[in-house]
Amino acid sequence: MTDPNLNKLPGGFKGMSTDIGSDQTAFKGVNWGKAMMWIFLLSDTFVFSCFLIAYMKVRASVVDDWPYPSEVFGLEVAGVPVPLLLIAIMTFVLITSSGTMALAVKYGYEKNRKLCGLFVLLTAIGGLTFVGMQAFEWSKLIFHDGVRPWGNPFGAPQFGAFFFMITGFHGTHVSIGVIFLFIFARKVYRGDFDTGRRGFFTTMKSDYVAIEILGLYWHFVDLVWVFIFAFFYLW
Amino acid sequence: MWTGIVFLAVIVGSIAFHVFTPWWWTDIASNWGAMDDTIILTFWIGGGVFILVCLFMVYCIFKFSYKENRKAEYKPEDKKLETRLTWITALGVAALLAPGLLVWNEYIRVPPNAINIEVMAWQWGWKYRLPGEDNKLGTSSVKNISDDNPFGINNDDPHGKDDILIESSELHLEKNRPVKILLRSIDVLHNFYVPQFRAKMDAVPGVITYYWFEPNKNGEYEVLCAEYCGVGHYAMRASVVVQDKKDYKKWLAQHKTFSNYLAEKFEQNSLKKAKIVKFNNLLSNEKSILKESN
Amino acid sequence: MLDDINKDKKHSSPRTKSSSISGGERDVDYVRPADIPDQELYHGHSFLTKWIFCQDAKVIGVQYTLTAVFTGVVGLILSWMMRMQLGFPELFPFLTAESYYQMVTMHGMIMVVYLLTALFLGGFGNYLIPLMVGARDMVFPYVNMVSFWMFFVAVVVLMASFFVPGGPTGAGWTLYPPQAIIEGTPGSGAGILLMLVSLSLFVIGFTMGGLNYVITILQARTRGMTLMRMPLTIWGIFTATVLALLAFPALFVSAIMMTLDKVLGTSFFMPVMMKAGELLAYDGGSPILFQHLFWFFGHPEVYIVALPAFGIVSDLISVHSRKNIFGYRMMVWAIVGIGALSFFVWAHHMYVSGMSPWFGFFFATTTLIIAVPTALKVYNWILTLWRGNIRINVVMLFCLGFIVTFVNGGITGIFLGNVIVDVPLSDTYFVIAHFHMVMGIAPLMVIFGAIYHWFPLITGRFLDEKLGKLHFWITFLGAYSIYFPMHYLGFIGVPRRYFEMYNSPYMPSTIGMNEFISIAVFVVGAAQFIFFFNVVKSIRLGKPSGKNPWKANSLEWLTPDVPPAHGNWGEKLPVVHRWAYDFSVPGAKEDYIPQTTPPSEVIEAEVEKT
Ligand code: HEA
Ligand code: HEA
Ligand code: CUA
Ligand SMILES: [Cu+2]
Repeated sequence: MTDPNLNKLPGGFKGMSTDIGSDQTAFKGVNWGKAMMWIFLLSDTFVFSCFLIAYMKVRASVVDDWPYPSEVFGLEVAGVPVPLLLIAIMTFVLITSSGTMALAVKYGYEKNRKLCGLFVLLTAIGGLTFVGMQAFEWSKLIFHDGVRPWGNPFGAPQFGAFFFMITGFHGTHVSIGVIFLFIFARKVYRGDFDTGRRGFFTTMKSDYVAIEILGLYWHFVDLVWVFIFAFFYLW
Repeated sequence: MWTGIVFLAVIVGSIAFHVFTPWWWTDIASNWGAMDDTIILTFWIGGGVFILVCLFMVYCIFKFSYKENRKAEYKPEDKKLETRLTWITALGVAALLAPGLLVWNEYIRVPPNAINIEVMAWQWGWKYRLPGEDNKLGTSSVKNISDDNPFGINNDDPHGKDDILIESSELHLEKNRPVKILLRSIDVLHNFYVPQFRAKMDAVPGVITYYWFEPNKNGEYEVLCAEYCGVGHYAMRASVVVQDKKDYKKWLAQHKTFSNYLAEKFEQNSLKKAKIVKFNNLLSNEKSILKESN
Repeated sequence: MLDDINKDKKHSSPRTKSSSISGGERDVDYVRPADIPDQELYHGHSFLTKWIFCQDAKVIGVQYTLTAVFTGVVGLILSWMMRMQLGFPELFPFLTAESYYQMVTMHGMIMVVYLLTALFLGGFGNYLIPLMVGARDMVFPYVNMVSFWMFFVAVVVLMASFFVPGGPTGAGWTLYPPQAIIEGTPGSGAGILLMLVSLSLFVIGFTMGGLNYVITILQARTRGMTLMRMPLTIWGIFTATVLALLAFPALFVSAIMMTLDKVLGTSFFMPVMMKAGELLAYDGGSPILFQHLFWFFGHPEVYIVALPAFGIVSDLISVHSRKNIFGYRMMVWAIVGIGALSFFVWAHHMYVSGMSPWFGFFFATTTLIIAVPTALKVYNWILTLWRGNIRINVVMLFCLGFIVTFVNGGITGIFLGNVIVDVPLSDTYFVIAHFHMVMGIAPLMVIFGAIYHWFPLITGRFLDEKLGKLHFWITFLGAYSIYFPMHYLGFIGVPRRYFEMYNSPYMPSTIGMNEFISIAVFVVGAAQFIFFFNVVKSIRLGKPSGKNPWKANSLEWLTPDVPPAHGNWGEKLPVVHRWAYDFSVPGAKEDYIPQTTPPSEVIEAEVEKT
């Protein structure tokens, strides 16, 4: 328990607990910000889980019919209804932006200011596109199909309520991410992470780890989208 | 010294209060004596633990109060003692839990000969519905509720027609006959609670909940709403009368069935309608057109 | 940076025999070199950045404490008015049923969330965590500062609801829909909205603070401070914070959903309903869903206020009985175990809610299982007293009061947890008595004990012992005589949240008791002003305490300055060589060995390996 020598850890669970329990840091070599982001994401996971569990509970228990997602979310292309077209594109864009984010992190660690900045910017643009398409989808549902939070022409009123609430909450996450991505793109281009320029609010220096932390958040938001996608569009 | 004495007094006082208290539960009037028994059992075990722990503490105060030249014992752990205490506590807990769960198992299994009684709660009062000859309650929905149909019984359900409607807040029960209380609410949460019966359950709008008991003592008891339901919560009382079969039958006979009720309302309405027709022919015409189109 | 610290280490332990990592004889004082660089801090310059938007966790802690105590006083005054109505109805015509329910609701919510949660985690957490783990500050001082101001805004919004048309919400602190947001409940307009907004702000603010506490404890301890050397206070606060980070989301989500039900007319929690003969526009929602969400938050919440109290009281008992805490490892695992289990018991608040009765078996079992680790904690407290050398001072008195009230309230919890026993007792005054004993009194005892204990650290002066004893005895005896008899009201069957019920056939016998309880409440409440007077007086005129007046071991007493300055440790961070409980070690000269004392300085002491 106390043996401060971490070079010779016993194996198995005992070794792991000795390592975690040893002095200074529980997660060796993990930056404070990164650890914080992980814990925050854990907490956020609970938020989304509560939303989705509530959704499942209500959907399973309402008496009215639940609308067919492929009809509600279809688009007409040249007169032919294509189910889930827009969603497929949105999902594709968001997943791609996860890819560009990963590249940004990679170049960040290589201290490649230009490429890192470029990929952060690309990610931001991907996110923005996603939000734009979501706005389009919402307006279609609201103005064209007449779906409202308190009711809709297709069936159970909770359909609109949950849809707008959960995608809205997710969209807010994406938007916050986009704002930070733009800010960080600027910071990277300006070289803040190389020169150790202090943050405006926090007055603290930071380095390229910040990109990785932002990346964690971004991947999480993508991951949540996959679940929302599955629960709303495929169920 | 004084500290120990006062703490001791607190413990002795608590025991004395428990033994001599004039405040105690009402005489039970249902089959749930087992609930009282589990409470008593919990009192013995829990109370025993409370007394032991506190007495030990008081002993320590007397025995180990600060002395300049005494040195406390140094003993970070005692594995054996700790394990032993864990097991003793686990046993104590099991001794409480096992009988409790057995009684609960009884509580949620309604005997087949129980009579179904619907308790309909609203802000802030109670109504009741009893099954007629077919022993079945008709299905119902809040959406059907109207002046003509205060319980919202489905008009298409034949079981509903002979249901007996009780629009007063006084409910009568037959002694020694199990009842299954079916709880409905048309607005918010309520809870049908008669302390003498011990049992209770919330009425939840949108679903039907239930519990059962067997009243076994004649008398009149007060019903209390036991789930907060807005400003009128504290005033949402009613009464239950437990009586012998003969009196109960008499009481039952005084009440209308749903079809009686409908017939009566129909008469009243047509009377009213006739008046209105006389009064304002045009308007009533319009109204009936509207009604039909609905 | 890192190298500096390493050099520094050699310097500080000159008795190094061999700095062996590879076999040979080990240096007894060896502590691993630092693996995190020293923290850079922002030092405020103006009044604004030093005292208002301050980033020093100690100042933030005090800010949290003051704000929380302010809300607590509001809650106390509300409880006076409630008891006025219950004990002496019709004395004050302005106490209507509406205002009574508003007071009950605000009282409950304020006391649980805005007083206790904020005080334990925001107040004690901020003040003690960096000091006790040997950090210079929280890891993100800026976020920490924002956290307090979020909390402050939440309090302002909450208080604002007293002044909006319709008044604050009167939905009960559990805010059960549909009743919470429809007419017929006082404050179902602006009141409930402000409550929901305030709770959401609280959750957001708390999350910022909570991340700080968790990361500071996990990643920013000083050298030698292994997890199993941390004082139990830290373990309690840490586990409670983790619980909060995982439980508050459920509150947050239910607040959002209820807000939408109220504002946009969605039907998450709202079934078809008939009000005054009219069908409302709602349809198909589930009120029980809200209850599940609420209690998934609500039950961990009660342990969020209990666990820090457990931790703190362990430290107080240990220091003041001059004895190591008995069974430290067991205590840690009990705290963690209680925390984990608390996520699996929530539906014990819903035994009679109309959920599927089959859940009763599961939740009764899990609920009673929690009693086992809790019992171990109780045993370990009293076994710490056993063969100790107990200073009967105000701090210890509050600890003893805590043990009595907690065991009492815990055992009434066992009544309620056993599902069949809960059936007759649920929603009666038995429940009220249970949770006031275990939550209203027991943790408050710890808070007071803790304030008497750490006041010398914060201000450099003692609180007055005489006034303290007076305060303790009135509060403890008074509160005990309020809540002990109250259980028996529950046995009679008096339901909670009843504005009055004197026309009830079996109520006459309760009148006398209600009057007695109310009088006791006025006395106990008034006694709190002795405490406030004591604080105000002692800040200026108290007896100067000097350094480490209680002869405690933990790091917060070992700072170079008292009260500790910004950055806590001056030039060098402390290095920890032992746990916080080396009291009365055989062979040692003093009856305590501070955590920073290296083994080589107390060679004779027969310390057990910790
Ligand atoms: C700090 C707060 C706190 C704490 C620690 C607890 C602890 C416990 N509580 Fe309590 N509780 C509340 C705060 C708290 N509670 C509140 C606020 C409410 C009401 C909310 C509302 O409706 O408004 C409530 C309501 C409540 C209910 C719902 C009642 C109802 O509404 O019908 C139940 C039911 O199971 C319950 C059970 C328990 C149990 C089993 C424990 C256990 O953890 C207790 C464990 C402790 C001990 C058992 C004592 C020590 C043990 C020994 C000395 C060993 C030996 C003992 C035995 C072998 C029996 N509590
Ligand atoms: C921690 C929580 C807490 C605390 C401390 C209290 C304190 C008190 N409470 Fe209560 N109470 C609740 C939590 C709490 N309460 C909750 C959750 C409810 C349920 C609400 C609902 O049903 O919706 C409730 C409900 C409730 C009721 C039931 C109302 C009803 O159902 O109709 C009653 C009735 O007597 C009552 C009375 C009191 C009294 C007289 C006090 C006290 O006055 C007791 C004596 C005072 C003290 C022991 C000192 C307190 C000191 C301070 C607050 C100052 C703080 C300062 C520092 C810490 C430095 N409370
Ligand atoms: Cu109906 Cu309370
Ligand atoms: Cu609970």
